[in-house]
Amino acid sequence: MSSLEKTQLALGFMPLSDCAPLVVAKELGFFQQQGLDVMLLRQNSWATLRDKLHAGLLDAAQMLAPMPFASHVGSGVEALPMRAPFVLSYNGNGITLSKALFDEVCEQLQMPAEEVLLEPVAASTLADVIAKRVQCGEKLKFATVFPFSCHYYQLTQWLEQGGIDLKDVEISIIPPSGMVTALADKLIDGFCVGSPWNAAAVRLDIGATILTSNDIWPGQPEKVLGVTKQWQEQHPNTLNALTDALRQASEWLKPVPNRFEVARWLCQAQYLNTELDVVAPALIGSCLTKTGVKPRDVIDHTLFSVKGQSNELSIEQGQWLLQQMQANGHIPATAQHDKVLGEVITT
Amino acid sequence: MNKDQQTLHVLLIDDDAERATALSAALDKSRYQVSHLVGSESSLLKEVDSRQPDIIIIDVESPDRDILESLHTLNTVNPKPIVMFSEQEDTQLINQSTRSGVSAYVVGADVSNSKVKTILDAAIARFDQMQQLRDQLEESKRQLASQKVIDQAKVLLMETKKISEKEAYQHIRKIAMDNGQRMDQVAKNIIAIIRTLTA
Repeated sequence: MSSLEKTQLALGFMPLSDCAPLVVAKELGFFQQQGLDVMLLRQNSWATLRDKLHAGLLDAAQMLAPMPFASHVGSGVEALPMRAPFVLSYNGNGITLSKALFDEVCEQLQMPAEEVLLEPVAASTLADVIAKRVQCGEKLKFATVFPFSCHYYQLTQWLEQGGIDLKDVEISIIPPSGMVTALADKLIDGFCVGSPWNAAAVRLDIGATILTSNDIWPGQPEKVLGVTKQWQEQHPNTLNALTDALRQASEWLKPVPNRFEVARWLCQAQYLNTELDVVAPALIGSCLTKTGVKPRDVIDHTLFSVKGQSNELSIEQGQWLLQQMQANGHIPATAQHDKVLGEVITT
Repeated sequence: MNKDQQTLHVLLIDDDAERATALSAALDKSRYQVSHLVGSESSLLKEVDSRQPDIIIIDVESPDRDILESLHTLNTVNPKPIVMFSEQEDTQLINQSTRSGVSAYVVGADVSNSKVKTILDAAIARFDQMQQLRDQLEESKRQLASQKVIDQAKVLLMETKKISEKEAYQHIRKIAMDNGQRMDQVAKNIIAIIRTLTA
């Protein structure tokens, strides 16, 4: 083993189910086997997580896949060269509508909830409701977790594919932990969020989850490990050790039964601090849909590796992310994709 | 009224009631009028929208920070100066956050003394300065774009009318003066006409 430049690492994560590889590597001693003493530090907002990473208060962090690219080109923050050396998870998000809005959709379709929820629901089913609202000078309100997030792009793409003009809806940002309250308080009509928050809305009987991100973009990277270029250059061996431990964790997370075990760890106070009945379903390929309706079988709901692929971001995946960012006006039209990709995805 | 004496509405988002009281007390009898919200109990977006605060103070560790950050990125609401609370004086994080749209920091014990007022004053000044810079940047971008159009029109005129650059410029300038139009508008029209004729 080459010598490690640093052994005590501070790693930032957000309390979401897809931080599982970090928790597995910690709980099963994979970090330790690599000679690393990793402290997992729970963060409360993506913006502060990013600022701490940029400032060097965190060595590495779980990030929304578009975030390192946003930092690299200077969207929302002063530009700082970044690296995204490892994909932590694929898929895992879902779109949930408030109970009232979902009932309105069922009524319009003249179909019972069970039947509507058998298949992923297209946004076109909302067209009439949206048109009615617009006539009254109102807009349906959706929320997602961060501007530079797959959630944001999945939501806009789903709406546009359903023929919805984005001008006719409102999209705001609410932290994942505030999503369910906002839906319960009728401040929003729907959201696109990661686990366990869709399941939490269903368990509370305040919403219906109508599709998963796997139905929108199957097998795309969702969270990545982010480090600054400077950190990578100063700690190449440490970074290798870190990604080796995470690779071992992703491997361990392949069998579905193991994912139930990680669900139990995730519920602990230092991680998600929540209930197993909201954390477990997505991890074992079940999409809760609505109270009283049977869950939908979405075997690839949340993945930590994709068959036949390594956990490094491919150029195609990076290109895809940049295209989404550009389509949503989140990176300048002048950004040179190839140059950015070559810099952020160096392995 | 002088801008420096105007009452400014401060929206304070803090789950720590004691700290919130201390801050409100420190700003008593100043131009800052504080309303306190417990972050976890209310919707920040709704409050910002209905109260239209002049400045927002929030804990750096609050989940709601992502909401405030999005106000800048998504431009849904006019951006506001943002000041953050931090328990520890962490210079690195402070420097970093001021590069991502945060105007100033209130650190630890400063909450309860007269420094708060100075920090808020500085935050507003800094924010106004940044807004001005942003406006200037937009203006120079616009100017650059219009210069590009004028140059393009000049080249087309020089080629089609076999005239010098100076004559082409004067030509565009004269049309603009005669019609009371901006030169870049005239240039755009010239380009469109020449392209239609030569297509």
